[in-house]
Amino acid sequence: MAASVVTVNRDQRAGVLPILKGHWITLGNFFRSLFLRQASTIEFPEKKRNVSSRYRGIHVLTEREDGTPKCVACFMCATVCPAECIYIESGERPEKTIEKYPTRFEIDLLRCVYCGFCVDACPEEAIIMSRENDLVGTTRAELIIDRDRLMARGKLVEHGPGYRPVDHDVRRPVRIAALERLKTEHGIVPGMPKKRG
Amino acid sequence: MPKCTIDGKEIEVAPGTNVLQAALAHGIHIQHFCWHPDLPVDGNCRTCMIEVEKMPKLQIACNTVISEGMVVHTKSPKATEAQRTALEFLLINHPIDCPVCDQAGECYLQDNYMRYGLYGSKVEVEDKVRKRKVVDLGPIMLDAERCVLCSRCLRFEKEVTGTNSLEFVNRGDHVSIATFENRPITHDYAGNLADVCPVGALLSHDFRFKMRVWFLKAHESVCPGCSTGCNVFVDERDGEVERVRPRRNADVNKSWMCDPGRALYKQIGVTGRVSGARVRGAAGWEGVSVGAALDRVASAVKEAGGASAFLASPQGTNEDVFAFKALAEAVGGKLDFRVGDPQKKVRERIDHVLQRADRNPNTQGCLDQGVGRDGVATVLDACRGGKVKALVLQGPEILRVPEAVDAVARVPFVAVMATHEGPELDRATVVLPAALWAEAEGTFTNYQRRVQRLKAAVPAPGDARPRWELAAGLLQRLGKPLGAATPREVFALVVKATPDYASLDYRAVGAQGRALPSSEGAAPVQEARA
Repeated sequence: MAASVVTVNRDQRAGVLPILKGHWITLGNFFRSLFLRQASTIEFPEKKRNVSSRYRGIHVLTEREDGTPKCVACFMCATVCPAECIYIESGERPEKTIEKYPTRFEIDLLRCVYCGFCVDACPEEAIIMSRENDLVGTTRAELIIDRDRLMARGKLVEHGPGYRPVDHDVRRPVRIAALERLKTEHGIVPGMPKKRG
Repeated sequence: MPKCTIDGKEIEVAPGTNVLQAALAHGIHIQHFCWHPDLPVDGNCRTCMIEVEKMPKLQIACNTVISEGMVVHTKSPKATEAQRTALEFLLINHPIDCPVCDQAGECYLQDNYMRYGLYGSKVEVEDKVRKRKVVDLGPIMLDAERCVLCSRCLRFEKEVTGTNSLEFVNRGDHVSIATFENRPITHDYAGNLADVCPVGALLSHDFRFKMRVWFLKAHESVCPGCSTGCNVFVDERDGEVERVRPRRNADVNKSWMCDPGRALYKQIGVTGRVSGARVRGAAGWEGVSVGAALDRVASAVKEAGGASAFLASPQGTNEDVFAFKALAEAVGGKLDFRVGDPQKKVRERIDHVLQRADRNPNTQGCLDQGVGRDGVATVLDACRGGKVKALVLQGPEILRVPEAVDAVARVPFVAVMATHEGPELDRATVVLPAALWAEAEGTFTNYQRRVQRLKAAVPAPGDARPRWELAAGLLQRLGKPLGAATPREVFALVVKATPDYASLDYRAVGAQGRALPSSEGAAPVQEARA
C-alpha cells in the first residue's frame, strides 16, 4: 500500500505582513476589553461564571426540617463511588422510623472525581451537588470535608444547587428496566401500581 | 436410589431427599424462606412452588420427596407465576427499609425479589400494617415489620436449644414474633437466630450498624474457643475483622456456633497486642528485633541443654506444636503442654449443643503428636528444684496459673511466645510476638479427631509471626533447621511424624476437614446434637 506523500514548501519567506496582522487582532481585543468591556474572559475570584443548574460541584448534605441530616447512612454512595472518597460511620437515632444516621460523613474532595454517582445512588435525596466549583485549601486535610461542613454548606445558597435528582422517584428507571427484562425474557407483564387518591 | 428430572436435568438422589435439597445441590435455585438445611421442614412460606408432571396441583419443593421417575419443572409459566405471587404476599407488609437494615446484601427478600419478583408494588408504603420496631432482646434486635413469619427462629429455639423463647402472637395481618413480656434471649446461641432469619427481623446487636455486609470478605477458619472446633467464616474489611459467623459443616457444628465463639473476633486486631519482641535487661524491658530476641533464646537453651524445659500450648496449630516439639527434641529438654487430664476433658461437654469444657482448640492435636510426654507437674517440680535453667513457653497461659508462679520464678531464663499484653508477661525474660489464629495458616484437630484447616484472614500486627516460624527460627540458630518454610510444608512433616495422620495433606483436609479414627479405634465420634 502506497503512502501518500505531502510535499511542504519550506522556502516560503517569513512575511512581515502576517505578523502585523496578528498584532492588529491582539491590539483590537486589548482595546475592546479595556474600553468596551467586551472580554471573553471573566475576572475570576470576584466574578463567577454562571454554570448549568445540573453542574456537578462540591457536595451538599441535605437536612430534615429539624436540622438533622436526611442521610440514613445506608452506604450506597460509598459503595458506588468510583474514587472511594466517601467515608461513613453510622450510629443510632432515637426515632424508630429512621433508626440510623451518620455519625461521621467525610468526602475527600481531592480524591473525588465529581461524577455524581453518589447523588444517583442516594435513596433519600440526602446528598446533592452544588454549583460551587472553586476548591482552595492550604493543606490536604482541610479539603477532606466532614459532615457539619457538608451540611452547613447547604445554607450557603450563593451558588445554588447543582446536580440532584429531579424526578423524586429515583428508582423509576431501574424499575422500568426490570419490567422490560421481565417482559422480554419471561413474557410476563405484571400489574402496574395503581395510584391512589 | 430414585432418579428424577428437574428442569430437564437427570438427577439421582438418596431416598428421602426432597426436591429443594436435590435442586440446590445440583445448581438449580428455587426460592425459599422457611426451609433451612439443619431445621425440620415446615412448608409455611409457600414460595418454593414447583410443577410436577402427573400431579394436578403445584407442590412445594421443600416438602416433596423425590420418587422414581418424577419430572419436575421449576421454571414453567405456572410455577413462575405461583412463585412470584407467593413472594408478593410476603412483601405486602414489608417496610422496604433496606437502607437502614443490616441484612441488606444477604437478604432472601432482596435476592428473591431480583430473581423471582420484579413486579410493581400494589400497596403504598403508608398503607402497610405497622408492627413493633427496634425491640431490644439482649443480643438480638427484633424488627417485627420486616418478618416474613417463616418460623425458622421458632424451630431453632425448639429443636436446637430447646428454650422456646420466641412465639407467634396475634392473628391475620397482625401476626408477629415476640418473646414473653419482651424478655431478652439469655442462652448462648442467640447469634444463630440472626443467622437463620432470612430477612432483617432478627439482627445481631453486636454487629448493628457496624458495616454493610457487601464490603466484607469472608475467610474460612475454625473457631479456637473450645475443642468442638466449629467451622467459621472470619469476615474482614481492609484487615479489620468485623464478625465471625458459622460455616456449615454437617459433621461438626451444622450451621451453628455459640455466642462466646462469636465474640472471639474482638481479640483480633492491634489493641493490647504484643507487636514486637522485647528482652529484660538491667534497666527493665528493652525492645529488640525478633531476630535478636531469638538469638538470645537460642543461646540460653543451648547453654541449658538437658536442663531446659518446653511447654507447648494447645492454642497453637498442629504446625506450631510440631515445630515446638522439634525444638524441644533438638535441645533435649523436657516437654509437655498445659492441660492436666486432657483425654477426658477434650470430650466433656458443658451444654447439650456445642460447647465443651476444654477451652483449647487443639488439645487432641497435642495428644496425637505425643507432646504430653513428661507431665506438666514433673516440669514444674523440676523448676522448683532449680533443675531447669531455661524454660520456653509456647503460650503465656501457665504464667497466669497461681500454682505455677513460684515454680516459674525459680527459673533464671523464661522465654514466652505471646499474642496479648498482660501483667503475667512480666514474669518472663524474653517475650516473642506471636500471631493469633485468624492471622496464621494451619490446622487444628478437634475432639472428634477431625483435622480442620484455618486460613489467615488478616495480617498479624507489627513483628508478630506464627509460632511455628518462631520455633523454626530457633532451630535454625541451633544448627538444626526445621526443613520447612510454609505451613503446608510443616504439615507434611507432621504427617510424616504422626502415623495416624498418614495420607493427609492440606488438599485432603479441604474446607470441611478430615475425620480420623478415634484413639480407641472406634469410628469417628459424632455427638453434636445440633
